[in-house]
Amino acid sequence: MENGTISQGEGKDPSGFLSEIIGNPVTVKLNSGVVYKGELQSVDGYMNIALEKTEEYVNGVRRRSYGDAFVRGNNVMYISAD
Amino acid sequence: MSFFGFDTARHNPAATGFSQTHNPFAGLSNEANEGEALDFEETYDGLGDQLDETDDAFNDDTFGGGSGVVSKPVGQDFDFFGQTAKVANAIEEEAVRFSRQLPAIKVAQSATQSATRSAVQSFANTSAAGSSYGYASQPASQPARSGYEKYSQEPVGELQVDAALWGVAPKKHPPPAAAPAPAQATAPASAPAGRKILSLEEVEAQMRAQAKKPAAPSPAPQPQVQPQVQQQVQYDQGYQYLQHAQPQNVAHPDHSRPREAPQHPGQGHPVPVTILQRPQSRHTPTAQSSAQPVPHQQPIAHQRQQPSATIQPTQILQNPSRLSGDAAKIGIPLHPTPPMSHPTHPVHRQQGSFSRHPHMIIHPSQLGQLSEEDKAAYLDQEAKRAKRNHKIFQMSRDNGIMTPQDKNFITRIQLQQLVAATGNPNEHSTDESISEDFYYQVHNQIQGGQRSHPSQPLNNFAQTYLFQTGSRQGGMRRHNRGPENHMQRMEQQVQRAVEAAKNKPKNKQLVIEGSLGKISFSNAKTPKPLLNIKRGDSAEVHRPGSAHRPVHVHGTDKKSELRSIETVYSTLMKMEDHERHMPPAPIGDADPEAIQRMNDWASEAQALNHKLWMALRVHDRPDSNGVHPFIALLSYNKGKRAMQRIFRHSTQEQRTTILTLIVVNLDNLDVVRNAQVATGDMQLNAAMRENVELFSATVMATLFTFMNELELDLVAGVLGLICTRNVDIIAKSRIGASMLTMILSRAEILKHSARGSEQAWRSWDATYTQFFNLLEPTLPYVFPGTVNTGDDVYVWQLLAAIGIGASPEQQSRLVLAVKDRVMDTVALSKTLPQDLAAQRLQNVNLFMRSIGLDVDLLD
Amino acid sequence: MADVGDEGSAVSEPLDLVRLLIDEVVCVKLRGDRELKGRLHAYDSHCNLVLGDVEETIYVVDDEDDDDEIKANREQEIRDAVCDSVVLISPQSRPH
Repeated sequence: MENGTISQGEGKDPSGFLSEIIGNPVTVKLNSGVVYKGELQSVDGYMNIALEKTEEYVNGVRRRSYGDAFVRGNNVMYISAD
Repeated sequence: MSFFGFDTARHNPAATGFSQTHNPFAGLSNEANEGEALDFEETYDGLGDQLDETDDAFNDDTFGGGSGVVSKPVGQDFDFFGQTAKVANAIEEEAVRFSRQLPAIKVAQSATQSATRSAVQSFANTSAAGSSYGYASQPASQPARSGYEKYSQEPVGELQVDAALWGVAPKKHPPPAAAPAPAQATAPASAPAGRKILSLEEVEAQMRAQAKKPAAPSPAPQPQVQPQVQQQVQYDQGYQYLQHAQPQNVAHPDHSRPREAPQHPGQGHPVPVTILQRPQSRHTPTAQSSAQPVPHQQPIAHQRQQPSATIQPTQILQNPSRLSGDAAKIGIPLHPTPPMSHPTHPVHRQQGSFSRHPHMIIHPSQLGQLSEEDKAAYLDQEAKRAKRNHKIFQMSRDNGIMTPQDKNFITRIQLQQLVAATGNPNEHSTDESISEDFYYQVHNQIQGGQRSHPSQPLNNFAQTYLFQTGSRQGGMRRHNRGPENHMQRMEQQVQRAVEAAKNKPKNKQLVIEGSLGKISFSNAKTPKPLLNIKRGDSAEVHRPGSAHRPVHVHGTDKKSELRSIETVYSTLMKMEDHERHMPPAPIGDADPEAIQRMNDWASEAQALNHKLWMALRVHDRPDSNGVHPFIALLSYNKGKRAMQRIFRHSTQEQRTTILTLIVVNLDNLDVVRNAQVATGDMQLNAAMRENVELFSATVMATLFTFMNELELDLVAGVLGLICTRNVDIIAKSRIGASMLTMILSRAEILKHSARGSEQAWRSWDATYTQFFNLLEPTLPYVFPGTVNTGDDVYVWQLLAAIGIGASPEQQSRLVLAVKDRVMDTVALSKTLPQDLAAQRLQNVNLFMRSIGLDVDLLD
Repeated sequence: MADVGDEGSAVSEPLDLVRLLIDEVVCVKLRGDRELKGRLHAYDSHCNLVLGDVEETIYVVDDEDDDDEIKANREQEIRDAVCDSVVLISPQSRPH
């Protein structure tokens, strides 16, 4: 996590934070525990996420990679800036 | 777990609702037709899942049919619950006391049969409940035995009603054991208090306790035989249930059977397994099937006869998960077998061993007879079975606790809650909230009307539910009203929900001041926005943080290309829609409004056309790789497919521009550049072949149509453009070759129709010569694969198009360039089957005839 | 370009990515270790999807060892994926 990014976003709401980290590498963890790392293309109000250059980690093990990936928001546990 | 939040322990599991009866009348004939009844039981193996519940709403009707005649006399003034509740505690005590007294009573009472009671004792409470509803109000009026049959049926009606509460028709009603005894007054009352689902462990514990009482003989499994004996006990049907249920109760048979068997050798009555006493519905079918066939197991189990009779059932019963299949495996007929045989096999068994190891009961006695191997195998198997059973038990614990009808009502309740959640303005006070609490209402009502405000009407759902499922309010049964009633209520609820939703301002989010984000009400199906992310200036706002992402202003990256295609499509759709809304052409100048409408429409069409044109990016500059954005669009299948529609909505000028653009970039098309004819036998990969096919079918077809309308100057211009490109690359691809054929053919057609100025023809000839010179060196290499490959008809077509417009000198150069292929093909055709040979030669002849030759001349 | 740039030059909201995948072969991860691969014909904002030429793969995860094993492959002409179970949508491969 880049503390800088977060402190920049201090005093803003989460959407502010998310807007700022668009284009940056992020880690997205799903409720299922699966982790996706990639560049955040966009997020919407439903926490739907579009990622680029995505890598999928299951139990910490890299499983697959996707050029682009759309993650449905209801599965998202958190989004963290790398 | 309980549906209404009651103590399920007090709910009678024997109630038919739990056994998902098919035939509400099956029980009525029980007495007379036990064998069938048992067969019927067998059908429950599928549990309630197979039941068609759809018409349950008409259960009342159904029951009415069965007991309608008698139901009237039953009276409308029942108040089971009130009475029951009043005496509930007393009843409970009574029950307890009774159970203690039992041994004594039994002795006093009568013959052998009475003994049964002690073991059953514990069940009395449980099972009595089943019928208690119906009985509570009636007992006093019943004469001893005389009216009994009738009586037995009436309660059935009531019973069914009650059972219907659980959504199912009553399965079987055990025949009442005996005429109501004086004890009745209290007995029925005891039911509600004492009814309880016993776990397997509890049952066993109780049995053990009972077994230890010296005086307690085993219960007889054939209660009907000597019904009178049972008088002293709750003579209600509950008792009967009890008795029937015994076999199913897991550990039971061991105790009861062995003991009573010798005592009543003559008992010939099969024990109908009527109402199952099962804590878990899943277990029921198993228990049934296994309990019945007991006697038959003996031959198979090579063990001492006496124990085996009892042992096997135990074993099976202890493994309730073993379905009838198991029974079948060990040779037990699945149809009910009267336990006639077992009286002949008295069991000599120490009770102690039973109780200590419920699962091992059998082993001490049995294992002695087994070889070591068998023993080990047996134990192993047993352990597995136990494990499995446990698993199944775990899984099935709550099976059938709610019937589909119950669930149905839950849905309605949720609907009601929806009304509440969306803020029904009508309900605010706490009293109202209680009055609207379905669970509370139903529970209360079932528990005997301890309602704090009796005057207060039940809420809609509670009323409907109780009413429809049999109305606990004293047997009022207006048969036809049930379904209507709840449908009406449902409609009302929906209406209320809709109104409430309308009245209420949209408030999907809860924003607490100073909080991060918002709390919103959502679920998986209809998620609500969790975040408020600003949009609009997205393109700018997006990118600031991304130093490592080049911003594509004239992007030809995949996404912008795809986006362009999407824009193309959405614009096309708008245009097509717009087209359909074209106003009628104004007649004359008289109608300025119509003219105005037409003008508006035209300018809108114009705007859309412009948008489409922009989306096509025809005028964009090529990216760093030299690929024009428009050409990039054509590399997508959906881009290709759009071509025909694009042309339909483009001006002539735009079409020409597109044609020009494609021709100019012909050697940059992926279907040309990446689809060069391979030497040797190599073929293009499937994806590219597919691409080429699609391009031919879409883009080429569109261009072909368009080109057939072009005049010579433009055709010449196009050919001239091609001469500025890599002619060899173009010619060595199928698409490129087709394009060339197309251009040359058009010129030839124009020539035949004698169109075009002399000037234009001079220009064309010059261009053609230039083109021919450029192409000539490549000609030998334009064929795909080897001569064996075939699939070269398009090349011969191209050669024909070239040859027909060529000068004699050019023709001979042409022949020289491709003669090898011609000769090879002719040679090959001699080795081919006639059809194929003819085909190949015909292809070659396309070319040969264009220059005035024929393959036949070559022979 | 101004007109084309309506929605910006990149994906401006996640569902746009799905929109771009229309008529492309996509790989859809569903709950329960299932996966669909097929051509995306249509979608809605809830991620209900209509796919064509679908191949469904169910991965059976053995608790003991983590080996994924393809248990079933079903092919269907057209298939609706219900929104609830969609976890992830991705283009199967880039065309170039």
